[in-house]
Amino acid sequence: MASAPYQVKKFYFLEYFYILLKSIEKHAREQDALDMFKLLRETHSLGDSKYKRLTSSEEEQSSRQVKLLYYTFKQVAAEALEYRLIDFDEKNGKYSLSMKGKELLSHYEEGNSYEFNKKLFPLMEEKFKAFYEIINFCYEQNKNKSGLLVFPLYSPIKLDFKKSEIKTTKDILDYSRALQKKLEQDIEEFIGKSIDLTQYNDELIQNLKKACLLPQDESGKFAPDKYNSMIIRFRKFWLKTFLNQIYGYKSGFPSFDIWTYRGKQIGALHVTEFYPGFSGRIVYPTSVIVDHETNGDFEKLFDYANGYSLYIHSPSWADPENQDKFVDALLDAYFSSRKTNRSYFVGLPDIRELVCYKMRISQHLFNVFLEKAYLLNLKGELKVKISLEADKLPHETNAMYLKREPVMVNAKYRNIIAIDIAERRNQ
Amino acid sequence: MNTFDKFLKKPESPGLEVKQGRFEKFNLKENPFLPESFVNKDSTDNRINGSIFEAEIRKKEFKTIKDNFLKNPQGDPGHLRMGFIIDTSYVGRGNGKSAFLINLYREIDKEYCLDISNNVNKCFPVYLSPEPGGRTKTFSRFVDLLFNAIMESGVINNCLAIIRLKALMSIVPNLKPAEEFKDEDDLVQKMNSPGWLGEKRIDINKFNRETSKNQFLGGLPREFPLFKAAGMLTEKLSTQESFKEYYVELKKGQEKLEFMFSHMVHFFRAADFNGAFVLVDDFERIPDFQSARQKRDFAAELRNCLYDGFFTNTKLGFYNFILVLHAGVTRLIQDAWSESGMENRVPLTSPQVTPGHIIPFEKLKPGHAVLLLKRYLREYRIDSQKGNELSPFTEKAVNKIAEISELNAAKILKSAYYLLDRAADDDDIQVIDEPFVEKMNERGMFDPNSKKGIASAETTDLEKKAKGEQ
Repeated sequence: MASAPYQVKKFYFLEYFYILLKSIEKHAREQDALDMFKLLRETHSLGDSKYKRLTSSEEEQSSRQVKLLYYTFKQVAAEALEYRLIDFDEKNGKYSLSMKGKELLSHYEEGNSYEFNKKLFPLMEEKFKAFYEIINFCYEQNKNKSGLLVFPLYSPIKLDFKKSEIKTTKDILDYSRALQKKLEQDIEEFIGKSIDLTQYNDELIQNLKKACLLPQDESGKFAPDKYNSMIIRFRKFWLKTFLNQIYGYKSGFPSFDIWTYRGKQIGALHVTEFYPGFSGRIVYPTSVIVDHETNGDFEKLFDYANGYSLYIHSPSWADPENQDKFVDALLDAYFSSRKTNRSYFVGLPDIRELVCYKMRISQHLFNVFLEKAYLLNLKGELKVKISLEADKLPHETNAMYLKREPVMVNAKYRNIIAIDIAERRNQ
Repeated sequence: MNTFDKFLKKPESPGLEVKQGRFEKFNLKENPFLPESFVNKDSTDNRINGSIFEAEIRKKEFKTIKDNFLKNPQGDPGHLRMGFIIDTSYVGRGNGKSAFLINLYREIDKEYCLDISNNVNKCFPVYLSPEPGGRTKTFSRFVDLLFNAIMESGVINNCLAIIRLKALMSIVPNLKPAEEFKDEDDLVQKMNSPGWLGEKRIDINKFNRETSKNQFLGGLPREFPLFKAAGMLTEKLSTQESFKEYYVELKKGQEKLEFMFSHMVHFFRAADFNGAFVLVDDFERIPDFQSARQKRDFAAELRNCLYDGFFTNTKLGFYNFILVLHAGVTRLIQDAWSESGMENRVPLTSPQVTPGHIIPFEKLKPGHAVLLLKRYLREYRIDSQKGNELSPFTEKAVNKIAEISELNAAKILKSAYYLLDRAADDDDIQVIDEPFVEKMNERGMFDPNSKKGIASAETTDLEKKAKGEQ
């Protein structure tokens, strides 16, 4: 059963299922459903990457984009068919919603996208067992840190190489060696192994040369427009090498990538490329697979045939102990963020990363808890004072993708936070 | 009737009461410490440019360098041409070597070493630090760094001024520098300005000819920047920029070495310098990224330019290099040093006594932390007479900080920053005492690993929690 995950289709957002179901609910004919799918895709800011889009493509789509959209539609539909959320009548070429599909759709419309994702979970897990494999793999790899996997990565700028100064094969070689050295140090520090990465580095350089991105000759200059694709290759190569070679994961990187980001939307896993003070990607479970649990802070999502079940860690806000834990974690994160940041307000996404890791809760739960704590604070019932504000929000910038999501609190987006611990004496 | 209310009446509300500054309750203008301790020579912030420096702590190291290098006559054929500041402990990074080096630089620069050596030596300092990330792998690149550092120090402009002043005084024997120039900067500026010379009705051609009569300039090639820009027929003066333009066009290898280690030595000597101290910070950034072969080549070239090659410098020992080595760097370059023969010239290690060229850089002692903090606090006091020098810290608290920071200067300063920052927000805290330090330490307020984040961050063990073990 473990070989399944690589059959997964290539899209990250579970919201794609929602927009597909919605499109099919309204239109049975493929072309009509596709038109609506396209429209909804825009309104939900979905794209092909693991980040939501910030810029909308209002202009006419190129034929390539049209093809790509159709491809995505077919992928989502194929997966939905596997889960029996929709039916397809081959005779008249019409789609229709199944009972299961209708029920799922109502979860989105009555509840929210998070509820929808959770209901989708058993369907996916039944079919692929992907989370079972990945979560167990994480725990096996790092017992001490409760399943934390690190994938360190450094862009040239992080290693003090300027883009304008990287022009020749030799410059790339210099960067690759500095990177190799840094990664070796990181492996020693984070994983506690001493591994010589020379052979992998050589392989990477050979790949670049074979792909004609890099001239054979050391002093040869490469085409400047190849720079980005070369750096992307570095990223992908090392992510893959860490996963398959260093950690020894059996399946391919693309499926791991997709399932971890899907797991994040459900709250079973956390994955981020923005953990403060760490350069690269980290993955860790926010759920457990055990035969039974005795603590009340877990929510069961799935039973496996072997008697084990998957539980998401979802402590309840109603328990005052959890409230205290959350506020403490928030405080610690705030102060440690202020160490590097001299202003009162610090970035909320950073705080979120620190708190999620410390408490092992999902991003979704953090957002929920923060709003609750903030409302208590407004009522004056919290031991600290919290201010939440919005600095420049992602959609006010020129960014293409929403990489660091703000938090919706009290119906407003917020992305900076300040906390005052001085107790108010007048009360 | 005009009652002049506008001028005479007072408002009924007393106006906003001026709130205290954040650090005012501690008698401080602002936090004297910074969250990140690093040294940048060119910053204007005293907290990072190395000017807040407690010389007392490094008295011993200063003395060794003064006795063995600065005071030792450059004319002595056996004078030391290279020295190492070596960490004695592995706490290395951040125990104040850069700050020490910058203060050494300033000390030498102040009077060009004349005061320290009692007029025996006139030497200028050069401070350089290889870039992180391994850009400097070859000796040629190192020479580029050296040249840039010399340019930055402005010593070439000063030399030009000195050489020209001497020439001018022989053309105009009754010139009185004290009357002509306001200060050193004014002198340098005027001596490098054709305009000023024109005002004084001095023929620039004649002046340039007089300049090149300097005995030390005789052996220099005609294209040397001092003469090149100042062509005999043009009324121009060469400037520091002319040197830069000239250097850029030189070929790598012999030409550059010749320029740096022969021609420039003549030039500096023409300005009456008899030596230079080249202070190389973070030297390990070079060998860290070198292959064994590159290390050996580097050491061999160093030997060639300092001791055995055919350069004016090797005959005189004009440039004296002082390299800062972190603990462990000696091991990195040991092989290259012995293969290239440098070990015979300036051994990296010595079995028994510490030879003069090795300056052991010792770990701070417990009492030093108190001195260090006092020095910083003094700089930012509002009223320097009030209270004790260490407040709001207690001496015990500082010793505790020192202990937690493993006596590392950078960590001590960093911890002090967080403690003060935290205490400023809390009205109840007037004194930073030992229990407060301990409490903050438990909360990880100045955890030395905190920058590494994820490697040491606490987390919840979900497996244990699910089984009810946590």
